[in-house]
Amino acid sequence: METTNQIVDLGNLLAFDCTHQLSSIPSSREELVEMCLQKGTELVQAIANDLFNLPSTEDVDGPIVKLPPPITKLPREKHLPKPKPPTKWETFAKMKGIKKHKKDKVVWDEQTGTWKRRYGYDRVNDDQDIPIIEAKSTDEPGEDPFAKRQADKKNRVDKQERNRLQNLKQAAKVGSLPSHIQLAARALPITGTQTAPEKLSKDDLGNVAGMAAAATASGGKFDKKLQGEKKPKHEQKYRKFLPVAEGKGTGSKEKEQTDRVLNKLISKNSHEVLNIGKAVTMYNLKKEKKHQNQKGRSASSTSSKLKPKGNIQKKLTNKKGSSKSNNFKTKSKRSA
Amino acid sequence: MRTLDENETTQVFEKIFKFTGNNLKNIVESPSHEGPDPEPGRYCFRLNKNRVYYVGESLVRRATNVGRQNLVSLGTCIGKFTKGGSFHLTIQSLGILAANAKHKVWLKPTSEMSFLYGNHVLKGGLGRITDSINPGDGVVVFSMSDVPLGFGIATKSTQDCRKLDPNGIVVLHQADIGEYLRMEDDL
Repeated sequence: METTNQIVDLGNLLAFDCTHQLSSIPSSREELVEMCLQKGTELVQAIANDLFNLPSTEDVDGPIVKLPPPITKLPREKHLPKPKPPTKWETFAKMKGIKKHKKDKVVWDEQTGTWKRRYGYDRVNDDQDIPIIEAKSTDEPGEDPFAKRQADKKNRVDKQERNRLQNLKQAAKVGSLPSHIQLAARALPITGTQTAPEKLSKDDLGNVAGMAAAATASGGKFDKKLQGEKKPKHEQKYRKFLPVAEGKGTGSKEKEQTDRVLNKLISKNSHEVLNIGKAVTMYNLKKEKKHQNQKGRSASSTSSKLKPKGNIQKKLTNKKGSSKSNNFKTKSKRSA
Repeated sequence: MRTLDENETTQVFEKIFKFTGNNLKNIVESPSHEGPDPEPGRYCFRLNKNRVYYVGESLVRRATNVGRQNLVSLGTCIGKFTKGGSFHLTIQSLGILAANAKHKVWLKPTSEMSFLYGNHVLKGGLGRITDSINPGDGVVVFSMSDVPLGFGIATKSTQDCRKLDPNGIVVLHQADIGEYLRMEDDL
């Protein structure tokens, strides 16, 4: 059925014919299959024609063609991510004109005279490293300056945590949080607004809880469960297997695997068979040594190059023949 | 249904190798005429619920239409994986093993029934035995009329068998065709 209304979208390697109709109702399934295949081949031919008409560059593996951008608009699976509202610090920094600078991982420590980490185990301005704090005139006599420093740090950390939660709430109001945080944040009431917190549905909560429970090295199998908690959806770790029934063009990884295993097994168990490869290499090495000795004595090289090759073939057959005949002899003796 | 991964394939092949030796290659690479396809495919091994099946490729492709819970069996079952992860050959693999066996043992008619009830093969019941059997080799047990009866593991080499007293065990029983009646539910 030749219809002229074929649209070929090379960006997606797609061709479709919107005006196709079957001219006659097929009588059997095979006929229907045949007609569909025929139409399919025409469309594939159209794609191939257009592909080969594109300008191609030569490469090691063959001509390479750059496909044009796709024409058909496929719908998005998920919605576009909403822009996050700037955090309190970001708004402040923008107002003041403060720019971000990249920080080094190691910083020069004056006290010890070495390079230390900016944070973590062996860090620069650690509170524990300070041996002596000099008393200032503003200090009260009974106060412990080390405890004061610790308390100050704790306050700073708590304040930072509160600010972080506030930023998350702001983002949740707009709706631009990642989904798992959105879920956790939905339960929190937003102070100052009249919107009631949305009720979490059982499915959503179950999904997120399952994901969290299974995010361990053994897939959540050995964790202690709370009362009433159900097993995770996928109990074991995800394992990868070869495809059950391979397609026609995918090669044969299963065949490779079985062959590999088979060869390993056979070679492991064949002690008594003559390793022909090894024998050949040993013989060649021997010949080379002899050849070198001969070179040292005589100057002629071309004749000696030709001779060993002929000899190798003859001697190999002799070797094979002799070993074979030996085996036969011993076998016949045993059975008798 | 899924393919076997490399460890599982090695386990299966090692067990079969004990019985067939290098004929294992014939088993793995023989062309199969099982399905309606015009060209012969190859045989492959598939795992379903801890049982290993020896199936032709064309059948496997058609069997993917059956759901995992609904699929009972496909091709020939050759063995099972135990809960501990080791592989045991079952009696249903007898056809494949008997066709490619390296070591064979023929039983006298008097001791056939004893073997079919699950007892080991004694020296007194031995009719014929192939040469060059090593202890620990897999052996296929035949009756005098060349009907395969089952398989087992040889305890002694062929030479030592001649020196044994008539009540010594020659072949340790692993599977026999009487299991089709005795252990119908397990198979």
